[in-house]
Amino acid sequence: MATIRAHGIEAPLPPGFEGRIFIRPSTGAEVTYPVAHFATFSLPAEVGDFGGGAVNLMGVSDIFAALFEYGPESLGKRLFDRQGMPRSLATANFRPYVLRRGLGGQSGTQWFFTEAGRPFSLYVVLGSHVRRRALVPRVNCLIADVAISAPTRPAAAYSGPLTAAAGGPWN
Amino acid sequence: MVAVAVVLSVVVLLLAVLVAGLLRSHADILKALHELGVGVGEPDDAGDLSGGHRSSGPANPVQIPFGMGPPLPGERNSTSAPTIAGVAPSGDALAVNVGGGGHLTLLAFLSSGCATCAGFWKAFQRPDELGLPARTRLVVVTKGPEMESPAEVASHVRTGLSVVMSTDAWNDYEVPGSPFFVLVEGESGRRVGEGVANHFHQVVELVRRAEADVRELALTSEGRAFSDGLDGPERELANDRELMAAGILPGDPSLYPSTLADVYGLGAVDQPAGASGPAARRADVPEGGNAPDAPDPTGLTYPTDLTDPTDPTDPTDLTDPTDPQPGLRPTTDAPIRMAG
Repeated sequence: MATIRAHGIEAPLPPGFEGRIFIRPSTGAEVTYPVAHFATFSLPAEVGDFGGGAVNLMGVSDIFAALFEYGPESLGKRLFDRQGMPRSLATANFRPYVLRRGLGGQSGTQWFFTEAGRPFSLYVVLGSHVRRRALVPRVNCLIADVAISAPTRPAAAYSGPLTAAAGGPWN
Repeated sequence: MVAVAVVLSVVVLLLAVLVAGLLRSHADILKALHELGVGVGEPDDAGDLSGGHRSSGPANPVQIPFGMGPPLPGERNSTSAPTIAGVAPSGDALAVNVGGGGHLTLLAFLSSGCATCAGFWKAFQRPDELGLPARTRLVVVTKGPEMESPAEVASHVRTGLSVVMSTDAWNDYEVPGSPFFVLVEGESGRRVGEGVANHFHQVVELVRRAEADVRELALTSEGRAFSDGLDGPERELANDRELMAAGILPGDPSLYPSTLADVYGLGAVDQPAGASGPAARRADVPEGGNAPDAPDPTGLTYPTDLTDPTDPTDPTDLTDPTDPQPGLRPTTDAPIRMAG
């Protein structure tokens, strides 16, 4: 099993998956953070953070997953209250309308969470909602062993109110 | 004169002694090698690099490895194509799965310093002008950052070119040196070609040929068995299943052609009455009949009734009911191939 690791993210790739972990070059004063893409199909050279340019290439048996890190200013926000990345998803978590780019037949799920002091979003797209029973176990196989380590740079101090509600899927 | 003759005789004698000594030494060496298990005859095991050894030798012959460096393409048994995982020159992580999907992946194993690689790096500056067939992905693989300078590699790379720095990939693909190219067929996830080239247009030509071969193979049962990764008995079993699915059961006359007419179904009409051969025999069988067959020229016997009495459609009937000359030519455009 091939493993990729960079920018504090380590991902053993199950058979059939490929992936990349990168930080997009910033323009101007923009600060960019790590993004991880995983797919069961050939990822094009240029892919949007949430799969733009890739999800339209998916077959019905394909999976695309993106792990997107937000800036430290997001820490403590209610959206990121969930602690830890979901390690097992259910078929019910996938909805055809939870897609950044709505493509017929596909379905997706999105989760916001904080792990190791870093705010993230996990976005997963299935090539076919009808085949979700077969595809979701493969997704779970991928996300089960993804490891996120603490940031190497100091996180911005958070002074906002803390909320008690747990984060959940963006459904 | 006598002195010359004596000298010559002595010289000849010395040479004879020298030759005898060399022959003796050679015999000793052969004997020693034989005792070590390096036989001259057929090896007991084709995969044993130390050579075979017959029963007269020791029970456990000594393994004598020979060969230097990674095995050459012709010496390899593996055609597997593992995922390539490493880092990009920028430090990002990257893993490329070359299997899956109906595409080809061309892996270019290059170094930043080799003179021959410079031409390839230059060609890769314009990926759109490489001329590779559609659905062919190009991935450049260099050794890992511990053996290559990421900055040096990055200086050769333009946006849009996938570059993975991975020493493990060089080991997995048994790359003997750079430049080296490996072509992987995604459907089967196997290496379908590998080798060296001086110019990229040579590589492009080879990829085009390989693509055509893969397309041709995909149309045949042999190709399907290949793409499924089958070999040996499994492949034979797959072929048997395909034949049975086509209604060709063990003992079918078409499996024992004796003439070209049996193979192609041509000229069967012209055969004289009573002519032997499967095609003639098939034509002699009355409609729906289980008539006793003529003696098989091969001497083998096989059942003449291959039909299932409970099956309303006879799977062995390859004839077209609308055909005025049933059984004399294939009813489909696709020929039935015998996969080896």
